[in-house]
Amino acid sequence: MPVVELSLSRLEKLIGKNTNKKQILDSLPFLGLDIESLGRNVVRVEYSPNRPDYSTDFGIALGLQGILGISKGMPRLNIRKKGNYEIKVDSSTSRIRPFVTGIIARNGSLDDEAVKQIINMQEDLHFGLGRKRKKSSIGVHDLDRISFPLKYTTTSRDHRFVPLNSTKESSISEILRDSEVGRDYGSILGQSAKVPIITDAKGQTISFPPIINAALTTVTTKTKNILVEVTGIDKQSAEDMLSVVVAILQGAGFQFSQLKVSGSKNSTPNFAPRSIVFDANPVNKILGLTISNSMLVSCLKKCRLDAVRKGKKIQCTIPRYRFDIFGGMDIVEEIALGYGIDNLKPAWPASVHIGEKNTTSEKLDSISRLMTGFGFMETLNSTLTSEQILYEMTNKDSSQIISVISSKSQEHTILRDSILPGLLENLSKNIHETYPQKFFETGIVFSKGSPIKETTNLACVSASEETNFSEMKSVLQSLFRIGFNIKCETKTLSEHALFTQGRVAEIIVGKKTVGYIGELDSKVLENFRIRTKAVAFEIKLNGLIFD
Amino acid sequence: MHDIEKQIIKLLQSTPNLTEDQLSHETKLSMDQIRRGVEWLRQKSLADVTDTTNLSYSLGKNGLDALKNGLPERRLVNLVKDAPKTFDEIRSNLHGPDFNAAIAHAKKNDWINIEKTDTGSKISLKQEPTESQDEHAISLIDKAQKPRLDLVKSLMERPDFIIKHEEKTKTVSLSETGKHIDLEKLESGAIDVEADVPHVHAARIHPLKDTINEIRETFVHLGFTEINGNLSQSSFWNFDALFTPQDHPARELQDTFYLKDLNAKQLATPTQIKNVSNAHKKGWRYYWDIQEARRMVLRTHTTCVTIKHLADKKPDEARIFSLGRVFRNEKLSFKHLAEFNQVEGVVVGKHMTLRDLMGIQKEFYRKIGLTKVKFWPTFFPYTEPSLQSMVYNEKLGKWIELFGMGIFRPEVTKPLGITKPVLAWGGGIERIAMLKFGVDDVREFYNNNLSWLRTATKCQ
Repeated sequence: MPVVELSLSRLEKLIGKNTNKKQILDSLPFLGLDIESLGRNVVRVEYSPNRPDYSTDFGIALGLQGILGISKGMPRLNIRKKGNYEIKVDSSTSRIRPFVTGIIARNGSLDDEAVKQIINMQEDLHFGLGRKRKKSSIGVHDLDRISFPLKYTTTSRDHRFVPLNSTKESSISEILRDSEVGRDYGSILGQSAKVPIITDAKGQTISFPPIINAALTTVTTKTKNILVEVTGIDKQSAEDMLSVVVAILQGAGFQFSQLKVSGSKNSTPNFAPRSIVFDANPVNKILGLTISNSMLVSCLKKCRLDAVRKGKKIQCTIPRYRFDIFGGMDIVEEIALGYGIDNLKPAWPASVHIGEKNTTSEKLDSISRLMTGFGFMETLNSTLTSEQILYEMTNKDSSQIISVISSKSQEHTILRDSILPGLLENLSKNIHETYPQKFFETGIVFSKGSPIKETTNLACVSASEETNFSEMKSVLQSLFRIGFNIKCETKTLSEHALFTQGRVAEIIVGKKTVGYIGELDSKVLENFRIRTKAVAFEIKLNGLIFD
Repeated sequence: MHDIEKQIIKLLQSTPNLTEDQLSHETKLSMDQIRRGVEWLRQKSLADVTDTTNLSYSLGKNGLDALKNGLPERRLVNLVKDAPKTFDEIRSNLHGPDFNAAIAHAKKNDWINIEKTDTGSKISLKQEPTESQDEHAISLIDKAQKPRLDLVKSLMERPDFIIKHEEKTKTVSLSETGKHIDLEKLESGAIDVEADVPHVHAARIHPLKDTINEIRETFVHLGFTEINGNLSQSSFWNFDALFTPQDHPARELQDTFYLKDLNAKQLATPTQIKNVSNAHKKGWRYYWDIQEARRMVLRTHTTCVTIKHLADKKPDEARIFSLGRVFRNEKLSFKHLAEFNQVEGVVVGKHMTLRDLMGIQKEFYRKIGLTKVKFWPTFFPYTEPSLQSMVYNEKLGKWIELFGMGIFRPEVTKPLGITKPVLAWGGGIERIAMLKFGVDDVREFYNNNLSWLRTATKCQ
């Protein structure tokens, strides 16, 4: 989950009257914000990826005002229609990044902390909603450096401008090759000869989406008026993103003017809220409550939504930036939050159900009990293992290997096809401990099927100077006789990669080969640095004691 | 302690040093029993044994003769007591070697004078002879008294007078511990119950498995029935069926293990595929690609098993749970594993409520010994509303986040034909095992370190 760093004194100021730090800290979890760490004035909280408005203290203050009852209902949004702010879209963008939208925010002021918060918001939106800028991305500009109308069009990779945080002109190819953002996000543009660009009325480049802004429009703490543009491959997602920015800038004290968008399937964004009408009954039913309609209205308002009673129903109005609300169940959650999760009393649903373990679990339990009775210690290994352990050190055939893609851990790159190599690895790690050492493990092993087959195996190993084939055969036969009334026989096997020739057998149950038993080959033992004798067996349990 | 040992200790506690003979004599035990008992005590460090050699003497042939008839020198002085005698006169009474010995020792004792005359040498008494050293020694040995070493020295040099006997003996004494053993307690059959004893290693169920078993039992007690599913799953059941869009970050290679070159052939029923596809198009507005849904992954949660079960069975009422390994492509650390265990319980029922879900949760925790529980809102992609449970840990003195829960979103249930509310809850099991076994590095559960497995202690 993403994290945002908040200053408590700043939050107090943003929330306004009648609050203190303790109240704030106590309330944060009830907005779904997990306190990750807490300093004297700084608190780091984890927020849900479906609430990008919580990526800044402006958004969190809005939520706290509601839940603390200081300011309830939906914040009104005023957008002036007047003014000559316009962006025209050239159809050439449709093949690479077809949509643009934006807003003019005026008369605000951004101190260092506010700039930090807005950068956090931008990064969150780029990563989550924007799918690492691929789906949509934001540019924030100093409005006073720009001449309208703007143009969203495409240009060649030779096009030159001074990018953000630089003083010299570079070509687009150079930016993509030499800058970090260029290397990270350049692949979004593929091999396309033409790349998207926003220019102003004077022909000045202001943005090269989704990579970088121009230095010309850099936002500083002196900036009072800003332009926000969002480009993307999905119109609704771009507008979702813009709506979050608007909600946050409103919290930061900005006023808004419309940016007209036209051309090539683009249109001026609409920030109108939407309404859902719902019945109180099913809401109470699913929450296990019997709260009145007026209480329901109040709960929703505490979550910064608007609500009114409409006869026996309730109409809930949802601001544009709350696109995480899909339908009725999301309203239920808002009501639960407004009601206070703390006020929901746990109940115990009467039940006539009789619980039951899975047969497989029960049978594996029996095996565990018997094996520990025989003096074997249970070990647990990952089903994901390494080629080295599974094949190289055991001299096994690796032609049927099943690998995972791009594992972050060297020890977890392939799926095991047997358990025994893991047990040998366990012996290897315990050579300094006292002997005899006896291990067993039950678990899933994999083989190629359609597309993959999973079976449950049991493997056991006994290591000491005194151990021998007979000891293991005794354990094997007793286990299956006592536990499952199954007779295991052993039949000479001419060779097996893991075992010593002449001391290895197939395990036969009712004429079917179900596993192997034998004394471990000295080379294999050497590979695992095991200095004593070791005997082992591995047996497939599916088809034997369960399906 | 054996009765022989007790008898030996008892005797030595009153008489500190005794030989084995003496012990045997006093206890009326055979020498063999004494030897065994002493060896046992020595091995237990209750007794010490000192080896000593005893010297004793007895009279030889000549010694016995001297006892009867006097030493040759005594017989000599008796012959010359009244008048001096010549060598020849004496030789008729003292023969051969006796004659020489008699003269030599009588002279040494300063008893006689020898004068040379025309008729040969004559021996006369010099002074009245007292008891000589050799005579004293013989009489002592005869009385079975032990003469001093210097007293027998000269007699030893004379042939066949005395026989030297060397005898090795073992002297037994008690060690400090032995001295303080309370025999009365021992007599009553009591043993030293406070003594240190060696550790024994039990073969046992793995500590994590122990927690897994406890959790499984708890679910069964709460009326839940276990269902099972494969660890390898199609993306369809792991993600698509749970309304996770195909471009969602959780589906990327860096979070999820995809199986190389493996695609599912049979995904789901045509209706299930069509409905899920439509839900994605409607909810997330993108082109839903069936090929993407075919890609095989190692399941990232047990929810894929639950949802498939519900989609196939469509129960109106159910309490089921699914438990097993799940996978995340994570860098390993003290709190992250690439492969771990998860449990998930699901309640289906027409009248199920969020408060019921909280109640089941609370009861579950109570059964596994966690009594302080509270709930906070949270977010999960496929449940709404969603809560997380916080459990207070006394040892750590803080609230710990444990299981998550929620009601399956209609966007998940509707396309699969599930019409009744589905309450779901669950989470990682290692976290609970860490609390139970006081482990602060989750990797410990998979290290299979024998000394830890042999000694790990359940503390909660």
